[in-house]
Amino acid sequence: MNLKNTFKKSTSVSIKKDFRKLNKEPEVPTGLFKKCNACKAVVFTEDVKEHDYICPKCNHYFRIHAFRRLEMISDAESFEPWDMNLESRNPLNYKGYEEKLSLMKEKTGLDEAVITGKASIGGIKVALGICDSRFIMASMGEVVGEKITRMVERATKEELPVILFSCSGGARMQEGITSLMQMAKTSAALKRHSEAGGFYISVLTNPTTGGVTASFAMLGDIILAEPGALIGFAGPRVIEQTIGQKLPKGFQTSEFLLEHGFIDSIVGRTEMREVLIRILRIHQKKEEKFAPPIEKNLKLSDSIQDTLPKTAHQEEAKPIPSAWERVVKSRMKDRPVSSDYISKIFSDFIELHGDRYFRDDKAVIGGIATFHGIPVTIIAQEKGSTTKENVERNFGMVSPEGYRKTLRLMKQAEKFHRPVICFVDTPGAYCGIEAEERGQGEAIARNIYEMSALQVPVLSMIIGEGGSGGALALATADEVWMLENSIYSILSPEGFASILWKDSKRAQEAAEVMKLTAKDLEQAGIVEKVFPEPNGFSVEKMQPLCDIISHHIENFLQKFSQIPITELLERRYQRFRKM
Amino acid sequence: MIKKVLIANRGEIAVRIIRACREMGIETVAVYSEADKEAVHTQLADEAICIGPASSSESYLSMERIISATIASGADAIHPGFGFLSENSKFASLCEHCHITFIGPDSEVIRKMGNKSRARNTMIEASIPVIPGSTDPIYDARTGAKIAKHIGYPVIIKAALGGGGKGMRVANTPAEFESSFQTAQKEAKMAFGDDTMYIEHFVRHPRHIEFQILADSFGNVVHLGERDCSVQRNHQKIIEESPCTAISPKLRKAMGETAVRAAKAAHYVNAGTIEFLLEKDGRFYFMEMNTRIQVEHPVTEWVTGIDLIKEQIRIASGLPLSHKQKEIPLSGHAIECRINAENPKQNFRPSPGKITGMYLPGGKGIRVDTAIYEGYTVPAYYDSMLAKLIVHADTREEAIKKMRSALGEVVIDGIETNIDYLYEILNHPDYCSGHIDIEFIEKM
Repeated sequence: MNLKNTFKKSTSVSIKKDFRKLNKEPEVPTGLFKKCNACKAVVFTEDVKEHDYICPKCNHYFRIHAFRRLEMISDAESFEPWDMNLESRNPLNYKGYEEKLSLMKEKTGLDEAVITGKASIGGIKVALGICDSRFIMASMGEVVGEKITRMVERATKEELPVILFSCSGGARMQEGITSLMQMAKTSAALKRHSEAGGFYISVLTNPTTGGVTASFAMLGDIILAEPGALIGFAGPRVIEQTIGQKLPKGFQTSEFLLEHGFIDSIVGRTEMREVLIRILRIHQKKEEKFAPPIEKNLKLSDSIQDTLPKTAHQEEAKPIPSAWERVVKSRMKDRPVSSDYISKIFSDFIELHGDRYFRDDKAVIGGIATFHGIPVTIIAQEKGSTTKENVERNFGMVSPEGYRKTLRLMKQAEKFHRPVICFVDTPGAYCGIEAEERGQGEAIARNIYEMSALQVPVLSMIIGEGGSGGALALATADEVWMLENSIYSILSPEGFASILWKDSKRAQEAAEVMKLTAKDLEQAGIVEKVFPEPNGFSVEKMQPLCDIISHHIENFLQKFSQIPITELLERRYQRFRKM
Repeated sequence: MIKKVLIANRGEIAVRIIRACREMGIETVAVYSEADKEAVHTQLADEAICIGPASSSESYLSMERIISATIASGADAIHPGFGFLSENSKFASLCEHCHITFIGPDSEVIRKMGNKSRARNTMIEASIPVIPGSTDPIYDARTGAKIAKHIGYPVIIKAALGGGGKGMRVANTPAEFESSFQTAQKEAKMAFGDDTMYIEHFVRHPRHIEFQILADSFGNVVHLGERDCSVQRNHQKIIEESPCTAISPKLRKAMGETAVRAAKAAHYVNAGTIEFLLEKDGRFYFMEMNTRIQVEHPVTEWVTGIDLIKEQIRIASGLPLSHKQKEIPLSGHAIECRINAENPKQNFRPSPGKITGMYLPGGKGIRVDTAIYEGYTVPAYYDSMLAKLIVHADTREEAIKKMRSALGEVVIDGIETNIDYLYEILNHPDYCSGHIDIEFIEKM
């Protein structure tokens, strides 16, 4: 049955009465709705505000005013503005510029395109700068440059961390070359801040382009970005016109930058304050020692036997596996991987991405965390737990950009006096055309070279495969520890057999002669400690082992923190010198 | 007076509201989702506006789209029906901002009554009986026993962090209290790591009784008698009737007056429902207030002769109530059965699809509120209710017979329905003798 146009309408079924007119005609008050530029949906302004100015339909980020941002980030009423009411000298005597400035001031209630000052975030005092795109697209003229520079200088002096929320179209055309010079001025101030040991978090928001990207925005010790933000040097329209090509979807977004190794992390607006607090806490200035405070009467044993739970002793009776059997075990699919150790041993892990040159290599995880309250830098080769992850993480085979990421994070650890703890689990450095093109050998060499003199304690733990130079690039450490069934070798037994005997099938035989087991290496003085594994080692069974490892890490930090840096480096030098 | 109403709903209730408007000479605007192009409400209204895809969240729940449709069509009022946005205080408040008459109470009342603890406190302040319970946390049996005595046995002892029946015990007498308390507390400690306890009066085998009220903006409030909605499956009502066999004229008067007082305490305007739990001994407790028209409103319409939807529109137009309390006699007995597209043999799994053939009963004392027709496809996106079959007769016994007869005439081919299941309930000796409480279906 089709009902279309079959029913009689109201007017024909009943006689209309006289209607008293209602007081007000229905209408939508101005400002009740807002249109989302991304999904084109009409949304309630109130909903948008409640959702931190994120479109409730498509999660697009609306631009927000500097003071709104300040409210979202800082502790209530903690902001103390600095350097208000600086005036531009209109260096080009550009016609109408002064009028434009006063118009913008009136319209936005701001004195320029950036607010700077001191605020506290989670109780931690910081120097905070926030750009406001309403003011001539937050372009950087001399006042913006001056305010940021003065803020950085004062932060250096007062030993405050700097946080800058960027959002800018770049240089301010009306100020010509003077505007360009702000790039150098702000960068130079940040360099001094860094040299003095100061900490700087840069947060990129939509859009961050041009001279701002090419100066202070990209110079953070840690660079965060809001999701979906446009970030780039040349604007997409300029690029398209120059090269005469259509740009791919997602080009120059935060996600694009993360993939290409230029930012540490993408953080949602709603989580931003919490993440900043966690990062700031890890970077809070404390006495420059690395070790966790020892509870009195707590005896720290340096012998693994003393720390073993009773059950582990009972398992001593198990038959001793052959070297090849250990090789097989070290490669087992269900063997715990680095991320399992990180989550079980450390707290507050924040992963930091990217080498700042080319790409973020997923075969290596790096970041900061706390160990018993002490900040540490963690660097770990990661194979992943599922086949999909294995592929995504390239089975733990690190590319040059991966090593460059680890080096970047180790240098960061050195700057902030954090011990470095590495987890090694790789069949070897990635072998391929692209790896050679980008200098795999150079990257590994550079890591070994820099690690040998890194001015903080470095501990390295081989938890699975320790394949060749790819492993050593994370194991030029003060101490190297191994799990019972992990291996560490010049190359894979297959490779060894292939080179020496021209027959990779003789890998089993090779394993027996290579002295690649933990026990062999301990005897040879290549590694300091070997940790027994439980039978049927798996993620479910790893907690007792992690407790033992934690105990020994505590010992390690305790011991190495007391050694003066020069002696620490000498020891490390001699550790390899004697080999 | 309202000139043009946009009905922010679908199915039989949208049709019901459109019919009332047609009779009152009010123009109607239907909104519909892409899945409801062929629906009766879409075709019956004077105008129809498509407001989005099938998913409710993008159509019948989309406040922006419904407000836009209202403005675009020139409607001056919205009837929200039940479900969807009917009890959404934010939506009501938006209507207020846009000078659109929301046919229902104002947003603040919806907000207040929608919040369980606020509603309870409002009622306590107005001396409306609520289920007595401890106000402060209890940590030991001795304090608990004192409070239990004050509350009145039987009592239920609950863990503050409770859930899933853990840390929960009933004590029927003071003698049982100490051991029940200790067992419950021990369980609570084990399950939630917390031994904070609360005590509440335990309402044994209650009936779900609700009173329909009407209130105008001049402070007049009347009640339209009760509905017994005890026949429920998983908190879903199946059969409702009025009057309730367990309520004497004296008790009706007491409960009715309480309902009116409750509505006044909430500063309520428009049609609403006060839900009570009724104990065997005649004690009753306020549970919650529903701030909308209800599915089962036809049973009240039949025993009172009042058209509730028309009254809602009159009240929203600023007119006074059409009837005083004493002009509302209850006559006869009405029963409503909800016919759903579901398969009782497969745990009541929804059964959407095309209705290939159908026949619905009629005749004296039989009313069918529905929006289905032969050839209609029941969409899978919404509630599975197909029709409400309502009967009216002089006595309950006759009404039951009439319902059985009418149910026996219903034919809906092409999809599964719960008709046989309803038929079974109507033949159950406990139902027929009126011995029902909210556990009836569970025990059936």
